Amino acid sequence: MTAQQAGERDATSAPGGDAAADPLLSVRNLQTHFFSREGVVKAVDGVSFDIKPGEILGIAGESGCGKSVTSQSILRILPRNGKIVGGEILFNNGDRTVDLATEEADGRVLRDIRGKEIAMIFQEPMTSFSPVHTIGDQIIETIRIHQDVSKEEARDQAVEMLRRVGMPNPVRNIEEYTFNLSGGMRQRAMVALSLSCRPKLLIADEPTTAVDVTIQAQMLELLRDIQADLGMAIIMITHDLGVIAELTDRVMIMYLGKEVEHGTVEDVFHRPQHPYTRGLLASIPKMEPGRVEIEPIEGVVPSPYAMPTGCKFHTRCPEYIAGVCEKRDPPLTAVGPGHEVSCYLYGGREELE
Amino acid sequence: MSGAGGVGQMEDRAIISVRNLVKYFPIETGFLRRQVGVVKAVDDVNFDLNEGETLALVGESGCGKTTTSHCIIQAQRPTAGHVLFRIGDSAPMDLTQMEKAELKAARRNIRMIYQDPYSSLNPRMTLLQIIGEPLVIHKMVESQEALRNKVAELLRLVRLDPSTMNRYPHAFSGGQRQRIAIARALSLSPKVVIADEAVSALDVSVQAQILNLLKELQNQLGLTYLFVAHNLAVVKYEADRVAVMYAGKIVEIGETEELYTNPRHPYTEALISAAPNPDPDTKNRARIVLAGEVADPGNLPPGCAFHPRCRYAEDRCRREIPQLVEVGGEEGPSHRAACHFASELELAGISGGAEEPERERA
Ligand SMILES: Nc1ncnc2c1ncn2[C@@H]1O[C@H](COP(=O)(O)OP(=O)(O)O)[C@@H](O)[C@H]1O
Ligand SMILES: Nc1ncnc2c1ncn2[C@@H]1O[C@H](COP(=O)(O)OP(=O)(O)O)[C@@H](O)[C@H]1O
Ligand SMILES: [Mg+2]
Ligand SMILES: [Mg+2]
Repeated sequence: MTAQQAGERDATSAPGGDAAADPLLSVRNLQTHFFSREGVVKAVDGVSFDIKPGEILGIAGESGCGKSVTSQSILRILPRNGKIVGGEILFNNGDRTVDLATEEADGRVLRDIRGKEIAMIFQEPMTSFSPVHTIGDQIIETIRIHQDVSKEEARDQAVEMLRRVGMPNPVRNIEEYTFNLSGGMRQRAMVALSLSCRPKLLIADEPTTAVDVTIQAQMLELLRDIQADLGMAIIMITHDLGVIAELTDRVMIMYLGKEVEHGTVEDVFHRPQHPYTRGLLASIPKMEPGRVEIEPIEGVVPSPYAMPTGCKFHTRCPEYIAGVCEKRDPPLTAVGPGHEVSCYLYGGREELE
Repeated sequence: MSGAGGVGQMEDRAIISVRNLVKYFPIETGFLRRQVGVVKAVDDVNFDLNEGETLALVGESGCGKTTTSHCIIQAQRPTAGHVLFRIGDSAPMDLTQMEKAELKAARRNIRMIYQDPYSSLNPRMTLLQIIGEPLVIHKMVESQEALRNKVAELLRLVRLDPSTMNRYPHAFSGGQRQRIAIARALSLSPKVVIADEAVSALDVSVQAQILNLLKELQNQLGLTYLFVAHNLAVVKYEADRVAVMYAGKIVEIGETEELYTNPRHPYTEALISAAPNPDPDTKNRARIVLAGEVADPGNLPPGCAFHPRCRYAEDRCRREIPQLVEVGGEEGPSHRAACHFASELELAGISGGAEEPERERA
């Protein structure tokens, strides 16, 4: 199938969020590198994406591809040795747009945005909470940092939020410590804390990776419901393409710090174009009747200290074009409306000549 | 002598038969270590592992998969029950009755692979030492040269370059380390391999490589696998038969395709429904989202341990523990479930039945 056909076939996809609206967050050519004695790790190396208000965007790819570093860059919570060395992170904060990439990481602007406009949840709920304070105290404190409300009002809001996330007994739960809660309830408390200031954007970094499948199903249902209810945008970061397919409107697939493909989930899952995306989808065992073979991607992910030249995937690519792919990074090429791929199979070779 | 007289015959095809296996852990408190309760980690588990097959043990964390595996190889001694093991036409041995020295021969034939290839390989040993160690312990090689040759052969078997045998594990990726662990497990030419979440920590592209490698090795060497996992799609791909565990018990066991398309236990139905599918077309399917969390084997509810989360539960379920009974047809292969209402309920499997309107029992 050619790129053109792929584009023409696209007619059905109706992503959530307001398609005409200005992006809430616009990441342009983000580059985040780590500096250590062993050398430089280009953890994120030229990533661009937009997210509209109310939209659910997935970021997927195997471990080490730069998903977490992308989210840490947005919130400016990078480890010490990590630095944003290029690009823009434009956040539409109501009346004005700020570039989170160039603001002071612990300056006023980011302190106001972090936790209020953009909140984050993690794989391990305990990282969000302090063990020595009750859940309620922490939610109330977060509310009062960002909103000018009385303690009683904040408490009411906290109870209400715990109720929304399906805590069984919010009035009692508010007095509890996280270590008294079961894994599933901790997850819910973490969601309540993150949403307590009604952020415009929620970043969820592998929130279901460490939990059992029935708890994962609860979490996905909760995120779906609460998104419909509160209308915030969500960036769902996961290596699990099943979770992406179940929850998100659009997806960006990453490999070794690069964006390889993005589009609606329907386009990317039904009409994958990049050989890496195809390989990933072919590697996953399916929950379908009958025998469905899987096909692994050959080889191993290269070390971040010995990155291949050109297209980072060329060392494992079944469609590698000698003399082309190892030369330079392939540019992003549109293969359909809102569907882009960075691969020389679809364009960009002229510029090499 | 550790014969197995009186504990039941082994089925013709079985290489391992697990009979009424029980493992309880005491819950103790305080300085005097007074016992205040018991964790029923494995509670009357029965199954046969047939020669040459892959049987999966699947279920959520804490349901007793690892403890069952450990009780089979006698890494943990069961509280009660029997594990019969038979090589070829010889008489079955009851591993639970054997002394440590006697177990050595059986242990050579039943090997384990674990989830974490980072912690299961000694970082200060070379591949030659790691893979060769069991051969040395069991005195299976006569010379250093024979050892090197054997290790080279094993490395080729798992598709690693034999010239890497003098390197240390840290130089290898997660998937490669799992290959090293497999080579070590196969060094004594075992009959049975127990893989405990062996692919769970791997990225999908590498997981697929290891899943296919395990299948190739099974065909090539005639291995029998007990494949422990929590990912239902992975189990569907890898296993011939599946045993679903909940709170220390097998709640359903049958042939893979049959169990996935025609589940007979409500827990199996819910697990299948909850597994995320990488297909956006199924985004709006009606999912069964179980309320609450897995039963605590240290504090089990009365009756069926699943009843507090079961949407079909009735009075009887709160009182009476269901037995694992045959629910398959007269002829066909065995399909067993432990649910009082297994023959009445119409449960949805993976055929897409979940999209149909809910069929609750009146
Ligand atoms: N503090 C750090 N120092 C050096 N390298 C790092 C650091 N944190 C992350 N990296 C590297 O950055 C890359 C991307 O990591 P990450 O974003 O965590 O991947 P993932 O997609 O699994 O979330 C990896 O190669 C990782 O090793
Ligand atoms: N050594 C032990 N002492 C006490 N409880 C244990 C011990 N090992 C396992 N358990 C408990 O037994 C149950 C079954 O555990 P396990 O077999 O590891 O489950 P799985 O492998 O299915 O996750 C769990 O409740 C676990 O906490
Ligand atoms: Mg990560
Ligand atoms: Mg386990």
